[in-house]
Amino acid sequence: MTGSPILSDGGAVKRALRLFLCKAVWLVAVILVGGLFGATLVRYGPGYGVDERELDPRLSQASVEALRGQHHQNASLLSYYGHYLKSAVHGDFGTSESTQRPISELIHQRLPVTARTVLLGMLSAWSLALFLAMLGQFLRGWIFEVCSTLLTGFLLALPSTVIALLFVYFRAPVFLAVACVTFPKLFRFIHNLLVEAYEQPHVLAARARGIGPVRIFLRHVLAFAAPALFALVGVSLSLAFGAAIPIEALTDSPGIGQLAWFAAINRDLPLVVNLTLLVTLVTVAGNSLADYSGQLAARAS
Amino acid sequence: MSAPKSLRLISAFLLCVIFLLALGANFIAPYSYAKQFRDAPAAAPSAAHLFGTDALGRDEFSRLLYGTRVSLLLAPAAALLSTLIAGILGGLAGFLGGWWERAILASADLLMALPLLFVLLALRATLPLDVAPLISAMATFLILSLLGWPSSLRVIWAAARNIRESDFLLLARSSGSSPLRIIARQILPNLRPVLAAQFWVNIPVFILAEATLSMLGLGVMEPLPSWGNLLRGLENPSAFHANPWTIAPLILLILVVFCFQFILPSREDFA
Repeated sequence: MTGSPILSDGGAVKRALRLFLCKAVWLVAVILVGGLFGATLVRYGPGYGVDERELDPRLSQASVEALRGQHHQNASLLSYYGHYLKSAVHGDFGTSESTQRPISELIHQRLPVTARTVLLGMLSAWSLALFLAMLGQFLRGWIFEVCSTLLTGFLLALPSTVIALLFVYFRAPVFLAVACVTFPKLFRFIHNLLVEAYEQPHVLAARARGIGPVRIFLRHVLAFAAPALFALVGVSLSLAFGAAIPIEALTDSPGIGQLAWFAAINRDLPLVVNLTLLVTLVTVAGNSLADYSGQLAARAS
Repeated sequence: MSAPKSLRLISAFLLCVIFLLALGANFIAPYSYAKQFRDAPAAAPSAAHLFGTDALGRDEFSRLLYGTRVSLLLAPAAALLSTLIAGILGGLAGFLGGWWERAILASADLLMALPLLFVLLALRATLPLDVAPLISAMATFLILSLLGWPSSLRVIWAAARNIRESDFLLLARSSGSSPLRIIARQILPNLRPVLAAQFWVNIPVFILAEATLSMLGLGVMEPLPSWGNLLRGLENPSAFHANPWTIAPLILLILVVFCFQFILPSREDFA
């Protein structure tokens, strides 16, 4: 067995390392800019610097002044942002205004629920989309095209909130709702990708030589489609997290999505912004990893 | 796969009919969208109220017509603004190249990296609670258009870059055409199909985003109806069983989004 072309070539290793570094720098840039955006929202959002404790008649004037002083320390946006970043590095994301609980504690409680929902939903959507897209290649007929176009078109035309309500009515698992939202986009992309792959000259030549369909699929079609499929994993992660908000909110699933909705309804900007940053971090990391794997796969093939 | 021509024509016809009905809501709707019939809350369909009334006694048919007008007027407006922003920035990135191109593409990538619905929630949460319904509707669609341009930008940038490297543009430059004339006579006519396609693609996206936001109570505020807040009627199964017309906004929304999917320009249209 010959070694992998990526590892056998020193230049390729350097390129892979550079690619990885680029992705890491991009991730940090997104987090920093996203953080600045969030800090701007919180700093200039309604209610910033207003502390209900100032109205407490039991507090002395000195205590009230001390409370005001705390807010004045972070009066400018940059000092607020710097303070926020410094605390975030130490795992302190501040306190939720609506629940009066540490945001890190809320995230710690809710993240596993959403992670499970999103991962199971993605797995279900990917399995179904891959299966149907492959079936479409073997059936190859207008009936399949019409049926799949109508089915995915119908699902795409439904707001994710309505899909969530259907799952509440039928008491179906929440992750299937996430799968329903992500499936049509995944299927359409994979289907088009496989159509394109099967139209490649080398695939046509392999078919003409009488090579079996399974071997053609595994050796030629998958090799062609792998980079795009890897990239699609990252995109589907963003889609699934986006779908989690309305679905968790309406199905009463105690995850990050429901928390974000609750925070938005209660104008709890620090919580919304931190959740946005968390989801950004997860989706950008997932996208970068998927892109990186896809580019490595493209070079390997 | 693009839809057959007959299907595209039917879709365009249906969209025109729905659009005209929405525009004529003032004349067709029997009542104002906010008028309450306190003696008939959650009434079943009747001659006085074609689709019945909601829990507050408001005529469902009138609210559907006015809600359709809100969604079908503001979504294209938001799509137009979004396409305009993407067109200007994508066109600049494509033609100028260099650092302009890198900076614009990086900012678009950055915006695309942020989860749209989470950012929408964050921006929507900054609006005051006592905002007027019409302002809330316009703010919702404005936020959608300000966040929705990056995906269109990539497509427009790619088209603009192709034009920049085309022979006809080189010929126009070498024949001494002024930059303004080049933009007006060469660039804009060639970018028009891409801009039109992005405009049509964005409309259903914004309609669905508004429906999702409003169903979550963060979009268009009551009493102004939109498809999104009319769909909130579906959250109560007993009301739905009592008056099946509660589902009318959903059927209309699905129909409109389907029609938009079918009339989207195909690849052949660009050729």
